[in-house]
Amino acid sequence: MAAPETQLMLSVGLIEKDVNADTLWVWCYPSVSAELREVLLSKCCLRQDSRGLHTFVFGQFRRTWYYISTVEVQEPTALKKVQLVTHFSIVVTTKDFNPEKYAAFSRVLCRIYIKHGSPVKMMEGYIAVLTKGVCQSDENGSFLIKDYDVRKAYLAGSVKDVVSQFGMETIILYTALMLKKRIVVHHPQVEALLEFTRALPALTWHRKDWSILHPYVHLTDSELENLRTCTGYVAGFVDPEVSNRSDLFDVYVNLPDSEITISQSAKEAMSMGKLHKDIGLVIVQSAENADRTDGQIIKDISIKTREILANLASLAEECENSKITLETLKQRHFPPATENFLFHLAAAEQLLKI
Amino acid sequence: MDEVDKILIHSLRQTGTDVGKDVQSVKHFTSELIVEAVVRCLRVIDPALGSGLCPSLPPGMSARFRVGMSLAQACQDLGYKGEIGYQTFLYSNEPEIRSLLMFLVEKLPRESAEASDQPAGKSALLQKSIAAQIKAQLALPWLSPSCRLPLLCKTQNPGPSHSFHSQTLSLPHCLKVPGKRQLKGKPQNTQDPQENDYHRDFLPPVTAQPSQHASVPASLLEQHAGELSAAQEWENEWNSQGLLSRLTPEEYRSRKRARLQKRIEEQLRTAAQTRPDTLGAHGSGSDLTELLQSFGGSPLIGDILAKGTRFTHTEKFTFTEEPEKAAKQMAAAANSLPSSHQSEEDLQARQQEELASLQQQLQQLSLSLEEVGGDMRQLTVSIHQVSDELKQKELSNTEEEDSVRVKKQTIYLLPDGENNLAKLQALVEGSAERVVNLAAQWEKHRAPLIDEHRRLKELCSNQAMESSRKLSEIKELHEKISQSAEEAKKKEGLYKQLITEFENLPKDISRSAYTARILEIVGNIRKQKEEITKILSDTKELQKEINSLTGKLDRTFAVTDELVFKDAKKDESVRKSYKYLAALHENCTQLIQTIEDTGTIMREIRDLEEQIETENGKKTVSNLEKILEDYKAIRQENSALAAKIREA
Repeated sequence: MAAPETQLMLSVGLIEKDVNADTLWVWCYPSVSAELREVLLSKCCLRQDSRGLHTFVFGQFRRTWYYISTVEVQEPTALKKVQLVTHFSIVVTTKDFNPEKYAAFSRVLCRIYIKHGSPVKMMEGYIAVLTKGVCQSDENGSFLIKDYDVRKAYLAGSVKDVVSQFGMETIILYTALMLKKRIVVHHPQVEALLEFTRALPALTWHRKDWSILHPYVHLTDSELENLRTCTGYVAGFVDPEVSNRSDLFDVYVNLPDSEITISQSAKEAMSMGKLHKDIGLVIVQSAENADRTDGQIIKDISIKTREILANLASLAEECENSKITLETLKQRHFPPATENFLFHLAAAEQLLKI
Repeated sequence: MDEVDKILIHSLRQTGTDVGKDVQSVKHFTSELIVEAVVRCLRVIDPALGSGLCPSLPPGMSARFRVGMSLAQACQDLGYKGEIGYQTFLYSNEPEIRSLLMFLVEKLPRESAEASDQPAGKSALLQKSIAAQIKAQLALPWLSPSCRLPLLCKTQNPGPSHSFHSQTLSLPHCLKVPGKRQLKGKPQNTQDPQENDYHRDFLPPVTAQPSQHASVPASLLEQHAGELSAAQEWENEWNSQGLLSRLTPEEYRSRKRARLQKRIEEQLRTAAQTRPDTLGAHGSGSDLTELLQSFGGSPLIGDILAKGTRFTHTEKFTFTEEPEKAAKQMAAAANSLPSSHQSEEDLQARQQEELASLQQQLQQLSLSLEEVGGDMRQLTVSIHQVSDELKQKELSNTEEEDSVRVKKQTIYLLPDGENNLAKLQALVEGSAERVVNLAAQWEKHRAPLIDEHRRLKELCSNQAMESSRKLSEIKELHEKISQSAEEAKKKEGLYKQLITEFENLPKDISRSAYTARILEIVGNIRKQKEEITKILSDTKELQKEINSLTGKLDRTFAVTDELVFKDAKKDESVRKSYKYLAALHENCTQLIQTIEDTGTIMREIRDLEEQIETENGKKTVSNLEKILEDYKAIRQENSALAAKIREA
């Protein structure tokens, strides 16, 4: 029997666009809720004629990860002639975050669909992966689940690029992530948005929590409602209107202009001092070093983080119930910014006395 | 010729020449008459030219001579191409006079050209008559009140003018002809019988409704202008937006009303919402909310005003503290106002005390503020932490439940591990196959449905295109209809106006008789032209025949000549016949020659006869006698003048 990891796949769906420029959700297995279907139809780039084709897009909605591959039907296959289909997208929804794995898988499924013109064959491939973890594909070899480890997915994002774009300001992102604040990133292109945002949770490697990542969000009610239920998140928007929605973010990143702004309400919590400067220096130096890979940079950052957490833990042990209070922090006479930061960090790490 | 003369005489009469009633044709014109006619025409054509000339012939011969010369000069200046001199006026002959008078009459300026340029239409006529009246009134000189005649009083008093006061009038809406209503037996207006009764029995007529009689025209004008503009606006809106919305007029109106009401509500609501934030305006804000509640939908409005994000609530908190503080401060200040009869030092001491107490209060308040702020921070941070913990715990709960379930089932199967594993695998494969089978069956159903859906969608979009196309066609037709209606109205107005003008025109000359005559003449001329062309062609034909025959004759003669001559040398009879042939030929040629000569002489006779006639018409003999007499008169005058000079 296959490892429990295969239970991570939830469903597979097919969206088609025909010659009348009409986009339809035509098929799915086993089932997709109506709300999720709406969301997926809006994410799939077939609905918007003006933008180009995005071959692969992924995102999260209500703790379900979705991966959409879009293909334009070009060769004169059975699809185009009989069904008048011009483009189609294959959607795979899962519980885990692994873009490379599901990109490859959905590509295989796309190829099967183009070749046979019927979703039945596609479903056979899907079930094969579901039950056996292996699927035959037309390109070289077969698709094996175990080739795609989740750690590789976590490390695939490039922290070096982030640091090279923002330099010392990366410390703001680091602080926001540590304190579980709400970060909103804007870029008009989806691909750049996905690339950038997936690297951010790596800055808090000790948590290995990519569920805070919502890389592709639209300003619709259901999605914003979903965001509000999360305490801290990293959300990516292509819509420039989001800069006016100060109720949605504590930190706003304008990616094309390389600007980071902290919103008024969060300025007090995000005040930074000498401690932050130190960490920032470490990050920048490590990234500038051409010999160090992304993995090593993340390692350096996590070493520093662990130091701080160890410090905090030692503080906690001295108090009752191993929970920190503001008075204990005040007794240490830290500089005010550091004290503030440690206070909020304790809350984020659940070390604070309630 | 009669017609031409009549027209000429009529035109000359119009210029002011006194042509006697018995003078029917130009033949009977005397020299005096001719001179008068020419001078008056010149005066009309060109006042500068004609002003120096006198219409009557002076008695002296030399003077007459001079007048004739100047008239001839003037006519040549105008552009008369024919031969003209003093003799044309003093010793006239019919054809010359006729051509001169025709030239002058043609040169007369036409009055009818102005009238056709004027715009048509009833309103234009009305405006023209108004303008004419005003012009006439302005042309009259202003006289002081005591000198005015009663007619002038009316127009030169300020009395008739009133300022423009208008009052609203109420009119019943049913504008159908009352007679029709009675015929049908039941009232057309079934909305409200009481209203009908009121309209019928109690409502005073429109002229009696305004309080001052003078404001009746103003009120009527305003009412009418209002109705007209409303109707036009409705037309425009209906044609542009109403048709597009594909609703009936009533539905469109009701929707528009609802939309406008909503907008008004929203505006009032936003205005009411901004109020509660400002200090001291609580009273008016609550009044407004009460008003809004009375509009309807009261729970909604209250909710919306009360709803706010975290931030507005916190704002409210911080702001509500302030008015209390301000009130307290103001009360304290009011209490500490010094009364006038206390000494200066007491005053200062008091002020110092108050200052100290206020400062203490301030410190206390700021301390408490800080505390509260710190508490708030603590609380928010712990809320974060707790909610985070909660979420994580929930997630891990669900995960654990899932894994517990799976493990439970595995435990059941654990004892007979190998077998069960194999069985499970077989089961899995079986179900996988079944699912694939089901999917194939489903596909068979799904594919045609999807195709159907696509096909219907296409049909739908085609129909939508069709309907929008038809809508645009309808709009075009509407426009065309309105345009043609306008044109028809204009043309009818023009027609009526022209008919009235035509009836008002003087009937002394029957244009129709003239036009009929002209057309007749034109027809005759055409016929004559046809006949002439026919004759010409006949002549050409004849000439061609003659030419060909002469040619033939010559050739035949030449041939016969040769032939006979050849034989003539030998034979005697042939020589005789040759001589006869030559004689025959010569005689025939002579005959032909004579005939031709006769023809030319006849033509000359005709020409000469024509010339005789024209000369006869010139009445040369009488003119010569007159000339001789005048010559004698001039000689006498000359000798008289010479004698006078010698004497002086």
